[in-house]
Formats: sequence, structure tokens, C-alpha cells
Amino acid sequence: MKKISKDKLPQLWDRLAQQATLYLPVEEDGVVNFAPWKEGAAVNLDVINTVVPPKQMVLPQSENYLHFRVDGGKLDLEPVDVDGPYVIFGARPCDVAAIAIIDKLFLDEPCDTLYKERREKGTIISLGCNEPEETCFCTAFELEPAFSPDADVSAWDMGEYLLWKAQGEKGEALTKKMEDLLEDAGADAEKAVESLRNNVASKEAAATKEYGWNAQGVKDALEDKFDSEIWDKLYRRCLGCGVCTYICPTCHCFDVQDFSRGQEGLRFRCWDSCMFGDFTLMAHGENPRPTQKERVRQRFMHKLLYYPSNFDVYACVGCGRCVRKCPVSIDITQVIKEVGGVK
Amino acid sequence: MKQLNDTIKQVAAQSLSRGDVDLVIGWQKGDLWWQSYPAFVENEQDTASLTWDPFCVANLSRYLLEEQEGKNKVAIFVKGCDALGLNQLLQDKRVDREKVYLYGIPCDGLVDHRKLEAEGFKWLSEVRKEGKELVLVGRNGEQKVNARDYMYDKCLTCRYPNPVAYDQMLGEAVEAQPEERFASVKELEEMSADERFTYWANQFSRCIRCFACRNVCPACSCRECIFDIPEPRWLGKAKELSEDQFYHIIRAYHVAGRCVDCGECTRVCPVDLPLQELNRKFIKDINELYGEYDAGVDPETEAPLVTYNTNDPAAFPES
Amino acid sequence: MSVNAEQQAFEPLIVVFGCNWCSYAGGDLAGTSRMTYPPNVRVIRVPCSSRVNPNFVLRAFQRGADGVVVAGCHPGDCHYVTGNYYARRRLSALRRFLEFIGVEPERFEVHWISGSEGAKFARVMEEVTEKIRALGPNRKMRDVR
Repeated sequence: MKKISKDKLPQLWDRLAQQATLYLPVEEDGVVNFAPWKEGAAVNLDVINTVVPPKQMVLPQSENYLHFRVDGGKLDLEPVDVDGPYVIFGARPCDVAAIAIIDKLFLDEPCDTLYKERREKGTIISLGCNEPEETCFCTAFELEPAFSPDADVSAWDMGEYLLWKAQGEKGEALTKKMEDLLEDAGADAEKAVESLRNNVASKEAAATKEYGWNAQGVKDALEDKFDSEIWDKLYRRCLGCGVCTYICPTCHCFDVQDFSRGQEGLRFRCWDSCMFGDFTLMAHGENPRPTQKERVRQRFMHKLLYYPSNFDVYACVGCGRCVRKCPVSIDITQVIKEVGGVK
Repeated sequence: MKQLNDTIKQVAAQSLSRGDVDLVIGWQKGDLWWQSYPAFVENEQDTASLTWDPFCVANLSRYLLEEQEGKNKVAIFVKGCDALGLNQLLQDKRVDREKVYLYGIPCDGLVDHRKLEAEGFKWLSEVRKEGKELVLVGRNGEQKVNARDYMYDKCLTCRYPNPVAYDQMLGEAVEAQPEERFASVKELEEMSADERFTYWANQFSRCIRCFACRNVCPACSCRECIFDIPEPRWLGKAKELSEDQFYHIIRAYHVAGRCVDCGECTRVCPVDLPLQELNRKFIKDINELYGEYDAGVDPETEAPLVTYNTNDPAAFPES
Repeated sequence: MSVNAEQQAFEPLIVVFGCNWCSYAGGDLAGTSRMTYPPNVRVIRVPCSSRVNPNFVLRAFQRGADGVVVAGCHPGDCHYVTGNYYARRRLSALRRFLEFIGVEPERFEVHWISGSEGAKFARVMEEVTEKIRALGPNRKMRDVR
């Protein structure tokens, strides 16, 4: 286990930024989002969640992948280079777990090679949480707020310094490169981390229990709820915007569009939202999800039943962003409660 | 405020039990102290879940677009801003006034829970309004704060706190105490073109094109929105500054002269874009050029951009 | 290339939306009278100045226009009687708004040019072209893909 004092962090970031694009939580106009490191950037490691999760580094809101040109009857196609290596610093364990969750879909056969290439160029340094937000419920999905097993490096905020632990090959390689900036953490570090982990996890679990639910068994409970009245009541206030899907760390639906200038253009992949009215609009004009009821039902079924049925893991990490940002307070924890997960 | 809370339940129950209305649209509480969200009540017994508290900020008027279908009459609670939105929907001929029963609620401002959280007020169990103060009930007991310090910015500039449209007014009229609403617009106007461009480019770069602003807006009620039309595709989905600009400029233009300044767009934006400033720029210019006009006050008037005077001034030399 | 030389080498692209009955006719008159005006101007004929949707103006800027002009009948002389009255209001609001976003107001202009004002048409096009040439290429609203 290594450690680095907080006042040395800008040096670390400078060093990281020399070999890769470094993304970390930066505050601008009061909003904290992952942004590329620049000297003097207003880095904010205290906010629990950025508004937009770091999934945007792994699956960007839009990415050009093909350049096409028509030249007198001949069609020229050229792939667009994927950006270079990057490091994500300060990703919360829920957000890292989310990336591991969508990895299961994108890297499964047939493998999404574009995603794979971009994913492999990334190194993730997670930062454990010291406090749960009121809207946090990662423990309900058996995740830990202060530990990320999937990160390449796990870090913890101990006040004056960060603790740093390499996990796996990528993490070891990165740690070696930063060797001179990191000190040995000493014998008590492991214990301190364990204590922190337990503390935060039990705090969060206690808070979510206060609201009286957990997610165990929700998948089974949903098996026969397709025609349930729950959806009739829930969908009515939904505005059909894309806030929940776009700020959700596990949502990953995308569209493919062309930008054309007549003779040449770009094909790109971009985020799409199942909440939008035209998400499942077919070319012949019919829509299998014609009203917001079908769309709202789809979102929760996908996260809590279909995805776990396919990949053995819930597509929700309890980060609470949707709960905070939904303009009409549609709350997945309420849905789970109503559906009746096993206590 | 507790009185209004009870009144709301009563009138809703009455109107449903008498068969005056098929549906009542109001607000109800969620699990968290700040969750007060739109509720759709069709049975008398469910009216007990309706609430009126400092967090009932969601504008209910646009739900009429969907909910008036197949119903004889819908009752809806409207605050000052909601009533303006409703009038705009009437002016745009999207809502049938005959099918709506309006319970007006005079409102002197609602609480932005994020402002409370920013000051460390979290894990509360209840927030009540008592006069000009808020009573915060938390784990360590009760605390009182000045309500106005924690209100939504949009409430601080509210000029129509008493609903201008209503069938029945619940509660006492309140006095409007609006701050100057064009202050930020004027500040931006003072900047150079390049400074303004940089300012807006930075703001738009945060936009994630979720369309929450459009979907919540009472002036955005087109059956098919121009941004959803696939052919010709005016707006692509790529995250590019020119696309972000296109979206925000055109949406602001499309609601120009019809925006009621309810501020919902700014409230719902997940990345805190100062959207109301865009709409207010149009309002300010139209006021200056073509006469003071407040959208949503009188649905019988004509919106300034769908009418004209032969001797109108122009914002360009007319040689 | 020095800045000056670069600027001199810069040929602005001006998109003009000209109403069929007045401004476009004025443009035709300029042409038949052999009045020259810069070839930088690309005229798109519309039935009336009120046909001009702000989308068109923004799209022109997105696709590389350095300046956009909307030209219509003089107020009071609109072929459709009232079209340009609406256009006057709408385009005024749009022009001020574009300025608010940071676009130089000189890049978007509205002119009333009648069918008999061939000379005015040529003069306006000449003036606009030179103004935009001095301002340089429009980068602010351009789609850079």
C-alpha cells in the first residue's frame, strides 16, 4: 500500500497527464464533472458523485468511427482513430462497478471492438467514498461505497493524504511509473482502510434500511409484473426526457447516425434514451412502445430483470443520480419497494 | 401551510366524490423529504396522499396535454407560475378550458432543496413553512431559517405569485416582491461579443441534450417537435458545439414571446445551465421593441411574434 | 503567409435569402443591367422574407456561411401584404439574440430591397461582402466536422 500527501497531487496529475489524457472531477460554475486535467483546474474530490458519470470516457456521448467519401461512383471508407490512452482519476466505486457491468455486454460475443479498443486504453483509479449521500444505495446491490475491486488502482481519502493500492497488471504498471511520487504507507494502512470500508458501508446500509428496502429478490419479484398496475401509476408524471438515462452510469443504449456534407461525412455512435418517444419508432411508422407507460416500464424491467437475467448482475449500482436529478422525482428505490424485493 | 395541505385533500375528495371531475392532478410526497412530485388521483380515497408543502415546485399544467383525452373534466392545482403556463397552453389552443377546473394556490416561493443541502441541511424528516421562516426537522431536532434564503432563484423574481387563472382560489393572496429579473441578461450584454461567445460556449459544452428543458416547458407543446423530425434532420445527436448552439438558440426562438418565465427549464436542467437567461433575453428585447408583454397573463391576447404593427421598429437599420 | 495576405486571400461566403417578388427581382435587375456585385454572394430565392425560418439562418452559418442576409420587400409593399411585417419582428428578435450568443451582429443583416432597386441590391451585396471580409471567416457558429 502506498500513500501520497494531498499537496503532491498536482504533481501526480501532471505526471499522469504526460503519458495519457487525465480525467478527474473538475468544478465549473458549481457543477462537478470529469474533465481533462489542466494546471490550475478546480479539482473537487469531495463531491460524492459528478453529475455525468465517468462512463462518458468509456462510452462517449458521441464518437465518430467511420469517415466516408463518395468519389464518382466509388465509396471510400476509412475508420477514425480512437483517441489515445487515458486515465480516470477519482472514480467512485459505484461508477467503476457500473463500467464493469456494461463491460459484460460490450465485451461479450460478438465483441464491440470499438468499445473494447477504447476501454483497453483506459486506466481507472478509484476513490472510495467517506460518506454516503442521502440518495446513495450501492450497498443494496452488494457493492461497497469505499472499495472498488474492478479498479486498476484503489485510492482512499484519509484527510491529509490519499492511500493508494495497485490492483492487477495495469495498476502495478502505473504505480511503478509514479514510484518517486508515492511513499510507503506503513503497517497500519491496511487496517485503516478496512476500518474505513466497514464504517462507510454500514452507515450507508443503515440509511437505506431506514427507507425500508433492499434489492435482493427484486429480479424474481419482477418476473410476473409486466402487466402490473405499478407502471400505470408511475409513468404518468414522466416527462420523457433523457436525464435519467444520460446520467446513469450503467445506461448504455446508443444510436448510430451519419453527418453528411453531401460527398463526404462521418458515421458516429451516440447516446440515445429509451425514454425518448421515437426510441423504438420503426421505419414503417409503428412503435412497439407507443406511450410513456411502456417506456417507463421498459427502463425498470431492463435494469432489474432483463439485464440480470442475461448477465447475472443488476444494471443499477445505487449511485442515486437519477433520484436526485429526475425533474419529477421518479425514484427507482420506490419502484423496488413497491415491486417487493425480499427483505 | 398546514391548512392548505388539508384544504387540498378536502376539495379534491369533494370534487371526485361529486363526480365533478374524473381526475385531480396535484402533488404527493416521496420517501425523501424534498420529493414532492406530480400526482394523478382518480379515486376519493387516494386524495389523502395529496400534499402541499414547500417542495411542490413541479408545474402541473402541461400534464393536461395528455390527461384531458377521454375525460370530461380534470381538476388541477396551479400556483402563480403554473397558471401562467396553463394560460399559454390555452392561448396555443392545446388545452380546452371547458375541460379544466382550476384550484388556484397563491404562492410566495418554494424551497430549493439543493440550497438547503449546500448549507449542510441533509437527512431531514420534514420541512415546514411557518410565516416567513422554514422549520427544518432533522436528526438533532428542529431549526428555523429564513425561507427566502433557500428559495429557487426563479421564485425570487416572481411577478405573478397569485394565479391569474382560477375557478376557485385556495388561500390568501400574497404580495409579489420580485427582484430585478433582467439583471443577469444585462450583465451579459455588457460583455464583448467574444466574451459572450466564450461564456455560452462553456455553458453549452455541459449540455447533455437530455431535452428536459423542452419537455417540461409549457410553451413547448408541438405535437411533433422540430428536433425530433428525422427528415430533414435539423438536429443531429452528436455532441458538437454547433449542434448545442442550434438546439438552444432555436428552442429559445420558438418560445420567444410565449415563454411565461416560469423557470422550470432552469430547475430541471441536470447540469445547471442558465437557460432562463436565454428566454429572458428574448423577453427583454421584445418588451423594448414591441411593447411590454407578459405571456400567460391573458390567453386572449396575441403573442408578439405572431402579430405586428405597420410602424414597428426594427433591430437593424431600415434605410 | 502574413495575416494581411491571409485576410486578402479570404473570400467570404455570403448566403442571401431573397424574396421572390422584390429582392430577388432586384437582384435580377442588377444582373440584366450589368451591374457587378461580388461572386461571394449566393442567393436563395424564397417566396417572402417571412418564409425565412431562423433554422435556415443558423444552418447557413453551420455549413460555412460567413455572413447571412435576408432581403425582402419594403414594409408596406409586401407582395403577400403582411409577410415582411412579421419578418421584421422575428428577424429583429433573432438578430439581437445572435448578438447575445456572441455572433457579431454585422454577420446577420436584413435589408429591404425592392424589385426596381437593382443598384441597391448590388451596393448592399458589395458592402456586406467587404464588411465580412474585414471581419474574417465565421468560426463561432460553424460545424467543424
